[in-house]
Amino acid sequence: MLTIDQLHARVEEKEILRGISLTVNPGEVHAIMGPNGSGKSTLASILAGKSDYEVTSGSVTLDGEDLLELDPEERAAAGVFLAFQYPVEIPGVSNTYFLRSALNAVRKARGEAELTHNEFMAHIKSKIKLLELDNSLLSRAVNEGFSGGEKKRNEIFQMAVLEPKFAVLDETDSGLDIDALRIVADGVNALRSEDRGFLVITHYQRLLNYIVPDFVHVLVEGRIVKSGGKELALELEEKGYGWIEEELAAKA
Amino acid sequence: MTEATLSMNSFETVFQTVRALLGATGADLSVRDAAWSRFCAVGLPTTRDEEFKYLPLNRLYETVYGAPHGATVSREQVAATGLTTPAGFTLAFLNAEPAPELSMACSLPRGVVVTTLSQAREEMPELVEKYLSTVATFDGKLGSTNDARFVDLNDALWQDGAFVYVPAGVVVEDPIQIVYVTTANLGPIMTQPRTLVVMEQGALARVAECFVGLEGQAFVNPLTEVVLGSRANLEHLRFQDETLESVHIGNIFVHQEADSVYSSINTQFGGDTGRVDLNVFLNGEHTETWLDGVVVGAGEQTLENHTRIDHAKPNCNSFEVYKNVLKDKASGSFNGKIFVYEDAQKTDAKQTNQGMLLSPTATFNTKPQLEIFADDVKCTHGATVGQLREDALFYLRARGIPKDQAQALLVYAFAAEVIEKVKVDSLREMMTEKVRAKLS
Repeated sequence: MLTIDQLHARVEEKEILRGISLTVNPGEVHAIMGPNGSGKSTLASILAGKSDYEVTSGSVTLDGEDLLELDPEERAAAGVFLAFQYPVEIPGVSNTYFLRSALNAVRKARGEAELTHNEFMAHIKSKIKLLELDNSLLSRAVNEGFSGGEKKRNEIFQMAVLEPKFAVLDETDSGLDIDALRIVADGVNALRSEDRGFLVITHYQRLLNYIVPDFVHVLVEGRIVKSGGKELALELEEKGYGWIEEELAAKA
Repeated sequence: MTEATLSMNSFETVFQTVRALLGATGADLSVRDAAWSRFCAVGLPTTRDEEFKYLPLNRLYETVYGAPHGATVSREQVAATGLTTPAGFTLAFLNAEPAPELSMACSLPRGVVVTTLSQAREEMPELVEKYLSTVATFDGKLGSTNDARFVDLNDALWQDGAFVYVPAGVVVEDPIQIVYVTTANLGPIMTQPRTLVVMEQGALARVAECFVGLEGQAFVNPLTEVVLGSRANLEHLRFQDETLESVHIGNIFVHQEADSVYSSINTQFGGDTGRVDLNVFLNGEHTETWLDGVVVGAGEQTLENHTRIDHAKPNCNSFEVYKNVLKDKASGSFNGKIFVYEDAQKTDAKQTNQGMLLSPTATFNTKPQLEIFADDVKCTHGATVGQLREDALFYLRARGIPKDQAQALLVYAFAAEVIEKVKVDSLREMMTEKVRAKLS
């Protein structure tokens, strides 16, 4: 499904990704862990199409389609979804209006009919229960005045509404208390399916107790330095990132 | 002959025409003659005049405007501009003449008057003369650059307009709409729309003044006077949508007595050059004044708003929010004056003014001007000029909303704070649609 091959990227003169290769097959959940500044969020932003980064070499394809050639909205239409680390507040635009515009834009781009108001409301009502969100959030402005937990739940709610093929969760666990973490994880787990892939980016192992990954990759200084199963996350939790860095130093 | 004298000659011709017409009816011309000589003494402004620094009025110098002439226009033609007529009373004028064919009368509460100024002057002269031309003046007010030349011009040249009267304690539920349609289909014309709104104590109403241009080059120079008795409450919507070859220079003067509430939503979309001066004088304690505005400029439009609040009495609150969206080579400016008189202790005045530039060639000038002569007051002002937020734009696009649609959504959101205050649904939708249409 998603294939990243030898991806190099930089911001201005600073090289941040130094050759990342990764394949996520349908139905798989991959976790990317790594210390601060290792390039995790940069990878998430590049997948979604943020223009602050310059890809210097390498490729990213989704079902064979070159993602790097697409605008952010075209990626969304192709089925890519990024749950933001810092969801943006947009005063003056209601959540409902925003979601309806997004869903219909994506449907239109895919050649599907736009949903009527009633169809749309029925669709989102079923999803809002999943995330245990209050109905009043629908009429409020996008993320405006939302608590940290509400913002993150709103991200997963949007994911549920848009039903992407491939989703990237960028530090969705940061700033969440244990109850909110559980709700977010339940929301994600409910969306796991045979034909949907996930890339879960996190600094801490905690989230992976709830969203159990098939594979764990460790990112250090812009490279994947170690890959393994879910037990790798536990090892990292126990020994810290220093352990990996020491191991790397020993090899060098 | 220079352009300036050529232009003044065309004003002189119009003045003589209007004077002859009114003189034939036996009207007293002394007020007009005095106003005309005041206007002639200063003439048209240039950008060297402080109050017109950012407003090049080349068109007024270069165009020979004739006196307004009769025209035939259908309701459909007016509706095609996007103007909505809400349920309620609509009083329409076409090229400054009453246009019953575009008006819509409906029953009004007892004692409420909505009619033409010419008719009101015949039927209730005491009431009209008590207020007409008394509100629109800077006499006895603070300020070193007070400039009333376009007020004088209207005083000298106006022919008819609207009169709204709401007696004490009466509530008018439905909006009252006053429409000034201008069509310069036979060559450039100048018109001088005139509105007088008198609300007695405790009266409540909503008045929408709409200026719509259909065709050609017009110079529209309206003057509106508003008198609010104690505890009166007026929501005043103003909508400027002249043709893109026109010049619109509007003056509004509001006089508020104690405990009254004046809420203005002032919008400008049309005109090659548009300028609105909104002056509010607070003559009693515990008043509330809300001045909100939206400007959407595109192409090579120049659109300005000047607001002025005279806090002459203690314990009054005023709040201002003006939003300016400018794209292409449009230029906008905002000048917000707040005078707090020596006696006006406990004044609370808050002014906010924001510009959003959608292209590198659009410009915005902002000038808050606070002059405070009392010592126990709270006055704040804030001005920002910015572009669309990149993070918000990316967020919307990452959810699948195409770039141009995402931009329009964010611009609307920027203006929404003001537009959503319009309480009449059909008028709010009209504004929303105007914003969308101008930005797409």
